[in-house]
This record gives sequence, structure tokens and C-alpha cells, in this order.
Amino acid sequence: MIIRKTTLITLVFLFGSYSLSAQVLERKRAVQDGPVEDIFLAGSIAGLSTVTALPKKNMNSMVMHNFGLVSGGIEDFYGLDGGAAVRLGIDYGVTDKLDIGIGRTGIEDVVDLRAKYVILEQLKSDKVPVQIAIKGDVGISTQKERRFDYTFTERLNYFTSVMVARKFNDKLSLQVSPMVSHFNTVVKEQNNGKLYNTIVGLGIAGRYKLNNRNALAFEYLPVLRNRNPNTKDHVAVSFEIDTGGHVFQLFFMSGRWFTEQHLLARTDTNILDLDFRFGFNINRFFGLGK
Amino acid sequence: MKKLTTTLILIFGFIATASAQSYMTEEGTAIFHSRVPLHTFSGNSENLTGLINLSNNKVDFYIDLTTLETGIEKRDRDMKETLETKKFPFAEFFGELVSDFNPDTTAEQSVKVKGEFKIHGVSREVTIEGTLQMKPEGLLVKASWILRLEDYDIVPPSLLFVKVDQEQEIEIEALLKSVDD
Repeated sequence: MIIRKTTLITLVFLFGSYSLSAQVLERKRAVQDGPVEDIFLAGSIAGLSTVTALPKKNMNSMVMHNFGLVSGGIEDFYGLDGGAAVRLGIDYGVTDKLDIGIGRTGIEDVVDLRAKYVILEQLKSDKVPVQIAIKGDVGISTQKERRFDYTFTERLNYFTSVMVARKFNDKLSLQVSPMVSHFNTVVKEQNNGKLYNTIVGLGIAGRYKLNNRNALAFEYLPVLRNRNPNTKDHVAVSFEIDTGGHVFQLFFMSGRWFTEQHLLARTDTNILDLDFRFGFNINRFFGLGK
Repeated sequence: MKKLTTTLILIFGFIATASAQSYMTEEGTAIFHSRVPLHTFSGNSENLTGLINLSNNKVDFYIDLTTLETGIEKRDRDMKETLETKKFPFAEFFGELVSDFNPDTTAEQSVKVKGEFKIHGVSREVTIEGTLQMKPEGLLVKASWILRLEDYDIVPPSLLFVKVDQEQEIEIEALLKSVDD
């Protein structure tokens, strides 16, 4: 190899018509293949997690926010007077494939710990056509409850999902994610039916890039098994703005929560009845070293 | 045919060995320093490829711009979009040494190269100052210069409405090994 390189260079130097426009070195791309970038712009859309993981030593601080129902009309200023549900969170890339995170939701003072691991990365060459990630989330309701004296264990809820996504081209990405949620304790407010501790659902999500900075996205979480009485499937439609360091997500969502276990178990508004709320997420990305 | 090739290789190998003047690397370092108000950030790559031939003073360097990393993936992607790396994947310099260099001493020597620097599809003649130092492991190259984005039709990206500075400080450092070893 070295001899061939030497010979080639020597040949060029000795006999080549050698001007400033004729380079000696053949230009070769350093990276021939690799994982596709930006299957989704952030680790979640409105409340549904995506296969997108943070790179190693990158951190995402999130402010997730939604208001009351738009159907309240002008008297309620289309939900903006209704009081906000807020989740503040931080996710950190331990490796290029493993994120860990913590967040706190104002409703019921739920603190949740979560981890996401990318099992398989979609490659530019399409040798691997999909990206697969798993997610686990453990929530604990820290709200002081006057009616019951809950133990620590009774306050816990869990969520796990397997996310399978594909970026079809520069514009379109789709994801499906079978999911299971479990609540150690369920409380019936009315004696009108069975409440389930464990619920099986599916996450369906998509993203369509409008240009380099903006995208439209959606998420849909149908309950497949053990639907709680009077609950509906959560839906959100989002407009995303990517500034480089920030991703802003402005959306209408039917659910009230930003944790998927609660979206599955507790969404009681139907987007088809125009029962949805305005909300926004602010994602701020930091690099904490190379 | 095989004999002819072998003979050619031997002849040219002999000539090359006799000259022992070509040095090459594919693992040099390139760094840029960028400024926005109240903040600076750097990007670097360890994929700088370069060749220096001391017998005819030719210098040829290039880098695949997609290997530059700033530490924040989203900023890297922004940078690649700004540089349009899909259309123009390389930054490259091709020129010649225009100052004297004595390869028989191990002292660091100041040198000048003159040639074409090309990035973002725009090529301009530049003169760059740096140092060359002959070491037991090879030839150590260090250089730095200021690149003005507008000279290469690069529109600085806005980071949250704050413009990146026009002037980018570029540094390279590479240990080139003799291709005749």
C-alpha cells in the first residue's frame, strides 16, 4: 500500500503536469456511512418520547407547558386562564445511545426518573432501515394526600415502551411504539366501573419538515387494552422551531400530562369534540464537553 | 505486465527513497474558533489529510467538513447546513512553500505557504504563515490564519438572532510521516 502510494506520488511529481489546480491527494470522504441525523428534532414531541437520543455529554433542559381547554371559549381566554400544567425536566446523554433524565410535573407533584437506550441506529446506507430504542420511566406522586396515607410503593407508577422509527427522507419520519403503563394504586372517584392498574397502548408519531428550521409533528396514543372508563385516546399536533441550541414546540394536545403513563390512563378529553388545549415545550441543548 | 509493474515500482521506489522528501498524514488536527457576542465556541476534527513534498515544495491539505464537531450535535448540524457540506464536503488548500526550510535541523522554523484555499465552492489565493519542524517521527506542521466567511460566500448563521462573527480563526496541527518509510 505504502509502495503504491509512494510510486503514485513519485510518478505525479516526476511526470505530472503539475500546476496549482492539480492536487496530489485524492479527495476521499472520511465518513462513508453512519447513523441518520435528526429522525426527530427532540426527545419528545408533546408528551410522547421519540427514538432520538442525546449525544454523549449533551444535556437537554425542558420546560413543558400546557393550559386549559380551548373549548372554554373567550370567557376562559381559550384555556389560557385555566392554569398551566408544567413539567420541568433535564435529560443527559451518558453515552451516544443512553439518556437518563429526571422531571417534575406540577399536577399531583409527580417526580419521574427515566432512561432511554438506542438498541439499533438507522444508517444512511439503509443497511439498517429503522432506529429502535427502549424507554423506561418510574414516577412517584409526592402530593400530600389527605384522604389516604399512601406508602412509598403505593405512590409509584411505571412506563415502558419500545420505539421503532424510520426517517424516510429529509422531510418525513414516522414512529410506532408499543407501550405499557402500570400504576401501583388506582383510585375510583365514582363507582362506575373498573379501573386498571396496567394499561397497554400504542404510540404513533410523525414529523414532516417544512424547511431547515420548522416542522409539523403529531402524536397519537390509542389505548389497546384495559381502557379506564371515560378516558379517550390522547392526540397532539405540534409546530416545531429549531434554532440550533433550542427546539420550541407549539402544540394543541388533548391530554393534560407530559408523562406517557398518565396520558394513557388519565386522558379524558376528546380532540374530536374540540376538547384540546394549547401548550408549548422549550428544549434547550447544552454541550458539557467533547 | 506483472514484471513491468514490479520494475516500475522498484525504479520509482528507488527514486522516492533517494529523495525521501514526501510527508503525509490522514490524522491531522484542524480547529476553528468562532465568536458570538458574550460567547465563543470551537470546533475540531482529527481527520485533516495532508501531504508536503520538500523536493518541489508542493503542499496539499484537505479535510472532510462533516467530521468537524463543536460538542453540541445540533450546532454541528447547523454548521454543516451553513457550509452546505452536502454540496461542498471539503475544505482544501493546494499550493507551495514560498520560504526556505532546512530539513537537516530539528529546530522549529517559520515558513510561508502560498496557494489556493477552497471552501463552500469558493476558491481564493491565500498566504499562510506557520511552522515546520523535523522530528524523528516525521514533519510537524503548525499554522493558523483568519478566514472571513463573506470571502467564501458563507452566510453566518444566527444563533437565536445573534450573528456569528465574520472572522473565524483556523488552526491546523499535523505530524506528517515520511511516505518513503
